[in-house]
Amino acid sequence: MLQVENTLFTIAMISYFASMIGYFIYIAAKKEIVFKIAFAIQAFGFVLHTAAIICRGIEAGRLPLTNQYEFATSFAWGLCLLGLVFMLRFRFHVMGAFISPVTFLMIGYAAMQSKEVRELMPALRSNWLGFHVSTAIIAYGAFGVSFVIGIIFLLRDRLKAQGFLDQHIPDKEKLDLIEYRSVALGILFLSFTIITGAIWAERAWGSYWSWDPKETWSLVTWIIYAVYLHLRIRRGYKGKSAAIFAVIGFVCVLFTYVGVNTFLPGVHSYK
Amino acid sequence: MSVLKRIWKFISSMRFAIILLVVLAVTCSIGSLVTQNQSYAWYASRYSERTAALIVALHLDDAFHSLYFILITAFLCLNLTLCNIIRLPGLIKRTGKASGLRERLGIWGAWVTHVGVLLLILGFSLGQMTHKEYAAYGVPGQTMAIGDTGLVMTIDDFRVDLRADDTVEQYTSEITVYDIARSSSGKSATVSVNNPADLFGMRFYQNSTGWAARVTIDKDGQPLQDSIVCAGDYLAVSDKQDLVIYFNAFYPDYVMISGYGPATASGKLNNPGYLYSVYYQGRILGMNVLMEGEVLTIDEYSVHFTEPQSYTLIQIKKDSYTPLAFAGGIIILLGLVLSLYVKPRKNNRLQNDLQTRGDDASS
Repeated sequence: MLQVENTLFTIAMISYFASMIGYFIYIAAKKEIVFKIAFAIQAFGFVLHTAAIICRGIEAGRLPLTNQYEFATSFAWGLCLLGLVFMLRFRFHVMGAFISPVTFLMIGYAAMQSKEVRELMPALRSNWLGFHVSTAIIAYGAFGVSFVIGIIFLLRDRLKAQGFLDQHIPDKEKLDLIEYRSVALGILFLSFTIITGAIWAERAWGSYWSWDPKETWSLVTWIIYAVYLHLRIRRGYKGKSAAIFAVIGFVCVLFTYVGVNTFLPGVHSYK
Repeated sequence: MSVLKRIWKFISSMRFAIILLVVLAVTCSIGSLVTQNQSYAWYASRYSERTAALIVALHLDDAFHSLYFILITAFLCLNLTLCNIIRLPGLIKRTGKASGLRERLGIWGAWVTHVGVLLLILGFSLGQMTHKEYAAYGVPGQTMAIGDTGLVMTIDDFRVDLRADDTVEQYTSEITVYDIARSSSGKSATVSVNNPADLFGMRFYQNSTGWAARVTIDKDGQPLQDSIVCAGDYLAVSDKQDLVIYFNAFYPDYVMISGYGPATASGKLNNPGYLYSVYYQGRILGMNVLMEGEVLTIDEYSVHFTEPQSYTLIQIKKDSYTPLAFAGGIIILLGLVLSLYVKPRKNNRLQNDLQTRGDDASS
């Protein structure tokens, strides 16, 4: 089963890479058919990626959400899912060229991690694990989308010189709305992540909040997006300032995930 | 406008809230980068004397309990409270004018979220100030008092469930707790990781485990003392209290690795080794590893380490404000759903922020 997972994972990664190239060609060639091909390849990769995660879950006999590899591949899966959903929902095809590199980098990071299936330590044997990590995957995926939209927002004026992009990138007001929608989804799910994590920590370690580096950085991330939501409803700060916070927020997300596990070990250091 | 009014307006403003949130985020980040609650010597050895002095002077060694952290949080609570009080009449008026349940509920989203944050901070702060926490450890058959609670706990059994590959699946303790002042009958419970038990208003958690051994001391060939000692604990010789045997560590499958020191090759009891040190009047006399069957002789005393076994460490805690903090968390979720998804939409898809701008103006 692990061999099957490995094969599916590899094909999914290649598909994500191919779709990324496809999106770049779409912008260069300005042909809608190229977008459709790139999108189809990405969707195909997503289906295989989903199958790979399911295979791992069957092999491990549990939710495959417990170590650095499993969360990285799930994070990439969440980015891909949310990217596809937002592209379709807002008919924002150019977004593919921006979200696919982030997705590919994350699945590439997953590929570099140990894929060994390990038994769970007692503290991880909890039903709360599924709620805690799966909500984090949706939250991080949504924040990945908001990061990409924030980047597009900040670059929009520079990209405007190219007629094709000018026509295919929504105006700033719509970009701001898409960014808001993704942050709204992300902060709601991040709140679920933090609260379910606190409930689980209380049962496992006897303390629902102990300023563990991962907890602290989740809070920092939550605060950054709370600032985003407040800035957005203040006159004069909507748009650029909010976009900057959407970008900073995702940097915090990445640090919470990769940086904390690497540099600030705590109870979440399940490598 | 008078100075006081200006200060009042600023303290209740969204601008102040944003400043506080950014400062709080920066403070938390710095606090997470510096290892907390270590000694000056630890920081000096890890960084430099100057950096250690700076860390201690700025209370970065205990950032989350520092005065500035408490002040930032207190101002945030004040700001949220004032914001909610000021917005309340406007929201009530708008609710009266609103058409439909969705609109009525949606306009309360931010207000409800703020209430949730306040309850969460209040519950956490009260919990930090009032919670009681104890630890009790021992091997099956041992009974120990739980701090100053008046409770006594007996460890009836302790199991370490292993999988086929020798990894630990679960740690389980069977305990009985007695309230000696009120009742002679005890209450029994099973405690395992992720499955705490509630007894006599306290919560009992399976915290950790370690090794213990029976330490027997003979004097001139006659039995003098016999105790179960956990690794990390010490035993004073009963008739010579300033002679102390310290049980430093236990190696179930002892090996000596050159350049590293004593270690264990596996978790199995293949070759038990007991690392001990002997102190007399506070001064160390020696330190070594004693193997099963070997005898440590100190003048007329003979010390034996036998019967290695796992001990269980039970954490006992009472935090009456945990439900308040969790209620705050649930209310935050409810508020976010109301403000982000139930908030009334107008015909234009870009409208939702116009509505929120109205909220902002009213605050």
